Amino acid sequence: MANSNLPRRIIKETQRLLSEPAPGISASPSEDNMRYFNVMILGPTQSPYEGSCYFLLIVENVGTQCLTSKLSLVRFLTKIYHPNIDKLGRICLDILKDKWSPALQIRTVLLSIQALLSAPNPDDPLSENIAKHWKTNEAEAVETAKEWTRLYASGA
Amino acid sequence: MVSEDNVIEDSVSVEDDFDGDDYEYDDGGDDYDDDYGDAGDDDDDYGLVEDDDVDDPGAMVSRRPKLGYTVLQEADIKQRQEDDISKVSTVLSLSQVEATILLRHYNWNVNEVHDEWFSDEERVRKSVGLFERQVVDVSDASEFTCGICFDLLPCDNFASASCGHPFCQECWQGYICTSINDGPGCLLLRCPEPSCKAAVGPDMIDKLAPCEEKEKYSQFLLRSYIEDNREAKWCPAPGCENAVNFAVGGGDFDVTCLCSYRFCRNCTVEAHRPVDCETVTKWMLKNSVDGENVNWILHHSKTCPKCKRPIEKNQGCMHMTCTPPCSYEFCWLCLRAWSSHGLATGGFYSCNVYEAEMQKGNVDAAMRREMAKNSFEKYTHYYERWASNQSSREKALEDLNRMESENMEKLCNVQCTTMSQLKCITEAWLQIVECRRVLKWTYAYGYYLPEHEKTKTQFFEYLQGIHFFFFLKAEAGLERLHRCAEKELDKYVTADGPSSDFDDFRTKLTGLTSVTKTYFENLVRALENGLEDVNSTACNKTVSPRSPASPRSPTGRNGKGRGSRGKESPRAGGASKNVDDTSK
Repeated sequence: MANSNLPRRIIKETQRLLSEPAPGISASPSEDNMRYFNVMILGPTQSPYEGSCYFLLIVENVGTQCLTSKLSLVRFLTKIYHPNIDKLGRICLDILKDKWSPALQIRTVLLSIQALLSAPNPDDPLSENIAKHWKTNEAEAVETAKEWTRLYASGA
Repeated sequence: MVSEDNVIEDSVSVEDDFDGDDYEYDDGGDDYDDDYGDAGDDDDDYGLVEDDDVDDPGAMVSRRPKLGYTVLQEADIKQRQEDDISKVSTVLSLSQVEATILLRHYNWNVNEVHDEWFSDEERVRKSVGLFERQVVDVSDASEFTCGICFDLLPCDNFASASCGHPFCQECWQGYICTSINDGPGCLLLRCPEPSCKAAVGPDMIDKLAPCEEKEKYSQFLLRSYIEDNREAKWCPAPGCENAVNFAVGGGDFDVTCLCSYRFCRNCTVEAHRPVDCETVTKWMLKNSVDGENVNWILHHSKTCPKCKRPIEKNQGCMHMTCTPPCSYEFCWLCLRAWSSHGLATGGFYSCNVYEAEMQKGNVDAAMRREMAKNSFEKYTHYYERWASNQSSREKALEDLNRMESENMEKLCNVQCTTMSQLKCITEAWLQIVECRRVLKWTYAYGYYLPEHEKTKTQFFEYLQGIHFFFFLKAEAGLERLHRCAEKELDKYVTADGPSSDFDDFRTKLTGLTSVTKTYFENLVRALENGLEDVNSTACNKTVSPRSPASPRSPTGRNGKGRGSRGKESPRAGGASKNVDDTSK
């Protein structure tokens, strides 16, 4: 089974996530594979995503020996109107790419994603259209984001 | 006999001069070497050295000679790198590891490191990631939880960079290996702690990486010394592992590697004097587009003008003789009878002047003029000549190698002479190789000469074919030299015993070599200085063609043969007269 020989890191990380959850974030390992985390992030207050709830999936790519490769997958499962997140839910975030360090944890990654929701960065976009919208008419873009929030993310 | 002495002296003086260049560089850098040589050896000198440099950081720059370049082999590169590291480590009183990290960060520029460091040490330390003291104090704990694997381990299992963030050795190893296997970016590795900028230096690699990765890392570090250095480049020749270091802004653009490959240090394409880098890039691009077709046609479709048998050119000289029974002698370039190539019929190699050929007015030429309107024809014309000089050059290089490996010893035995006496043969061949290279590029130059600039183009023709002392003379001189080194020499190699006229042959060859050299230097200078300048120079040349180079030599624009040219020219003149006599 996938859960046998699970590195201590994953076990510890899971324990910590469950015992001292970060505010607005809940993460729990999938039952059949402990490397899969089901994540829920609450939309930060004073952001277009306020009052919503986003589902994410994280697959921790932790080898049995070295913990150095990047988290293989962090993805939004809920549709979101955000310049740094594309329609497939992929996230443009430096710590998931070149700034990745093995000393980062799921908790830190999720906190960063939460911060990204509070402060979209249209200067370093993933979806160009949304970023363009954001830069040319921010008020309208925020309205669209709120609309999407209402349509797709308020079901929880 | 006098001439023989001259020959030997001449060959030696050229050699000396070449070494002299190298030497001068070392001389110039001597103080510099000594400074840190001493400093590295002896800590007592440290204060003194620092004073020197701190007082006048600019002094080092000015002391560094502006001319020439140095070819570095792997050991030299290592040595220089180590020297630079020791210097920085001594002057800034840092460890070797810290000095290495610092130098890498500033692209191995010792002066910049010093300047930056002394202007704001704190800022440099911060941006490079060299911490004076650990930012986390872990000295009193007996065991830690590793921030990566979350294992609780005794403290001897931990390691950390200058910041002190502890991670277990196993995680460090994984971290370092991943980075090294990702490429030279590993030289910029930082502490795994996300907010920490502490640099991970060679000492950590040494302590924590497996052998294979250590080897890779040291290769990256060595390569970085050349690749990140503004004053050095790798030799672009395939398989060559040397690098060339040059002082910025000094000397020629052409540098010669120890592997004998010559290249332009600016664009690292093979040496292309007198053509500029931009033209070369355009030309090479054009060749890569049209080249393959033209190449195929050129190399497979030349037929004997008389018997129409296909001919592949495998000898260096342009004077072709079809195999018997045809035995037709013709010029490889224009495919006309060789007998029409001579001073009496408008000059040797007048076939090289593209426009002039069109203007001869016979039916053939008129037809070709029509075709010449087609730019492809024009391109073919120049490419053909570019390519045949290219292959001639390659052939000449092969011949030179064969000469050195096989025939020299044979010649020594047959002619009862010494290797040093035969040096003139090697030099003749080297000159041929060089001339073919220059000649080759003059065709790229010619191709890009704008046609509407009638005066200039005419001048180029003037230069290439009509003016006696430049192109024509240069190429004719080269053909004579090539023939002499190729065909006439053969006679002496295959002779049964010492030939009485072998000394004369050597004199002739030496004469031809230096005459050709002078002609080509003039040609290169003329083209480099642009055509306006040529105009005035040309007039001077007509007045005194035999001492063209001497007024310019003090400026030292040409790296090689600088000092000796003054002496050489009159001798060359004498020898060439001699040659003219014998060849008639």
